[in-house]
Amino acid sequence: MTTITQNNIDTLKACRYCPMCRQSCPSEFISYRESDAPRGRAILLHSVYQGGKEYEASAVNAVYNCFLCGACKSWCSGQELGGYDIPELVKFARRDIVSKGLAPQVVQQMKDSLVANENTRGLYRKLAYTSSVVEKTADLLYILGEGANYTHPEIAESFICILGHQQIQYTLLKDEPTSGKELDLLGYRKEAQEKAKNMAGRIMATGCKTIVVSDPLVYDALKNDYPAWGLKLESEVLHVSEYLLSLIRSGKLKLKPTKIKVTLADSEFLGRNNGIYEAPREVIRASTGDNFAEMQWNHEYLQSAGEAAFTFDGNLFDRGKELGRKISQKAEDIKAETIVTLSATAKNNISATTGLKVMDIAEFAAKQMF
Amino acid sequence: MKLSQNSYMFDMVLFELQDIAGKDYVSIKASDKEVYSIDYFWVSEMWHDRQAGRDITRPSADFIVHPKNAEEVAKVLKVANNYKIPVTTWGGGSGSQGGALPVFGGIILDTKRLDKIYKIDEQAMTVEVGTGIIHQTLEWELEQKGLSTMHDPASSRCATVGGFIAHRGTGVLSTKYGKIEDMIVNMEVVLPTGEIINTLPVPKTACGPDLNQIFIGSEGTLGIVTKVTLTIHRLPESRKFRAFIFKDLSTGLRVGQRLISENLQPSVIRLYSENETKELIKKVLGIEKAGAYLVYGFDGKQEMVELQMKYAKAIADEEEGEDLGTDLGDEWWKNRYKFFFPPYMFHLPQCFGTLDTVATFSNIENVYNAMKEVVETRYPMARFIGHFSHWFPWGAMLYARFIIETPPEDPHEAIYLHNSIWNDALRAAMKAGGVLNEHHGIGLKLSRLTPELYGNSFQIIKNLKKSLDPNSIMNPGKLGFGV
Repeated sequence: MTTITQNNIDTLKACRYCPMCRQSCPSEFISYRESDAPRGRAILLHSVYQGGKEYEASAVNAVYNCFLCGACKSWCSGQELGGYDIPELVKFARRDIVSKGLAPQVVQQMKDSLVANENTRGLYRKLAYTSSVVEKTADLLYILGEGANYTHPEIAESFICILGHQQIQYTLLKDEPTSGKELDLLGYRKEAQEKAKNMAGRIMATGCKTIVVSDPLVYDALKNDYPAWGLKLESEVLHVSEYLLSLIRSGKLKLKPTKIKVTLADSEFLGRNNGIYEAPREVIRASTGDNFAEMQWNHEYLQSAGEAAFTFDGNLFDRGKELGRKISQKAEDIKAETIVTLSATAKNNISATTGLKVMDIAEFAAKQMF
Repeated sequence: MKLSQNSYMFDMVLFELQDIAGKDYVSIKASDKEVYSIDYFWVSEMWHDRQAGRDITRPSADFIVHPKNAEEVAKVLKVANNYKIPVTTWGGGSGSQGGALPVFGGIILDTKRLDKIYKIDEQAMTVEVGTGIIHQTLEWELEQKGLSTMHDPASSRCATVGGFIAHRGTGVLSTKYGKIEDMIVNMEVVLPTGEIINTLPVPKTACGPDLNQIFIGSEGTLGIVTKVTLTIHRLPESRKFRAFIFKDLSTGLRVGQRLISENLQPSVIRLYSENETKELIKKVLGIEKAGAYLVYGFDGKQEMVELQMKYAKAIADEEEGEDLGTDLGDEWWKNRYKFFFPPYMFHLPQCFGTLDTVATFSNIENVYNAMKEVVETRYPMARFIGHFSHWFPWGAMLYARFIIETPPEDPHEAIYLHNSIWNDALRAAMKAGGVLNEHHGIGLKLSRLTPELYGNSFQIIKNLKKSLDPNSIMNPGKLGFGV
């Protein structure tokens, strides 16, 4: 049963005619269409949920064009009192669209792929980094997430290299399954919860006390979705940057100093959803000292890397470079030489648009490790 | 020409537009048509809000086009002339007068892809920029270099530079730095028939009429401004504010007039009527005081600002203002945009409107009183509030507003009430020496009253329109022009 909440209705009513956050919306400034801005989405959804209108195909697409990055919330001066939440409204709308059988074909294909192949892109599971690992019991479980597992294994290799160097016993999940996060963001909550249940079972079977995660989407799922769905994990959940920082603070991990000017591309799902801004900065500063430099947009005013931009204009999202270019431009403006990223998506989108070195936080730490 | 979407002729025109701007940048999607049928005009919002269970339709564009430069804009206008298709220019869609609404269908020309910053000249202190850029984006880029246009309206976050030019926008620092029309050095304009022209490189010439002035405030009826060079300033070393409560509005107006006439050069004077002080200042700033709230501000070199603040305070003290100090002045500056966000901003189902006008210091209080009286006596269901936020050497601007908590449920009756208040209030303002508007423009909302404001001189504007836009395709139904 998909039920609209009071907060969804408050958001519809507040945002439908208010354009004040629009300059922050990354999807509007790819397509330049008003229907891809928070106000546009609220107008279209108000017509459906308060105006008695049926969903029409292009309105459905507009709902799926949202990147769920939360920039609109960061830039809303009415948040404190109103608590308006466009990402939650869009997620509700997607669940409702799915329940009505109106999901675009590309979304359905992605769902089928996640259900059958555990990834969004229909890739063979044997292509995954974790297809050849031996799963065992260990105190530490490292979860890669789809990006590091399928397309950017160098991220996983770097973190595993650090673990090996530190002589830390760990395990991975063989044929690491999806966390269910992508399914939930696409509107398939039932399927997402089934996947979450499976993932939680696999995690618990490892007997781990600590889960370290590379992918911000998986981190968000384990931290927020699983408890909300009644899935209790006994283990502590940390992002790679948080774990690296704990190793640095305990004196176990020492990083070589560097004179290279390094900047950080914040993550929308780690930052806006979970408040993780300082841990990656402290890891970088442990090597760069004062050579760490902030881009114009950082912390809660970060520029989206498109971590949840699965579809756009009814297609599998293929315009990530346009988001990446905006970030690399800002890095070039401050004359940074290296951009550190916090997700495979960010690395992928940014590295395609710049000659600067782009590396994940795990790669950075592995490279700078004594 | 009205085209049926089922006719092949529709596809033929669509193809021409796609050939110009690219397929990704021409939309005929229902979602876009819906979203571009509503701007910040109360009637368009109310019409959308009341759609449930009613057989009502909204004026809707046939094509939404996003050209990337003046050449593409010119080609679109040539196609529109060929087929006599209306063209309505859309910037941020944040105008409150219905100026961007495609009331006779046709093409919405969205300018937001014209968003390049071409040149920041720190010697001439100018910036050359595409008019589709969101103003805040421009400001952020300038800020990186310690610069600013000093144009600072609440709509900075959502409006385009071109939108400001179209309706003669202003910002909270206008008292020192002027309105947008005071910041324009030169412009690139696409004429309705598709020719691209440039105005003279500098505005202060003795070479005949200033062409800039034909297009500034023309609301897309006489052409489309595609590029502009604006003046810029260095960010000030110091910016200070101080707030006071005066016993009544008259005293506050006198203080404002003295701050101007004694040449103190404030960047900000903001004076709120007694009832707006009670309602909004309490709500946003948490200050609960009876009387008229006034905040003034100065910026520039620190020592000069200190002196200006000293002399300004002396005036306020002479007029027996209750000093709220600099903290509450700073608080206002910090929250100056907050007034325009929900839930602070007025919103449906309320009926509301900003009856902004401007008059000389001799007339402005009479204008306020005349408008207040007509609204409060003829429309007892309405509240009337106002503040004075833009000050000139000769007078001040009144930002008056009416608010009705429960307007008629029937949308036709609601429009009748809304329009009646506007007509009565603005006729009272004009009679007392005011005009229709100071910085929101005319649009659809006030179009019917424009010939009344100008009298027989409106013929000059009509002749200009006929000469520049022979097929009358540009934003029909706005600024006093028909179809």
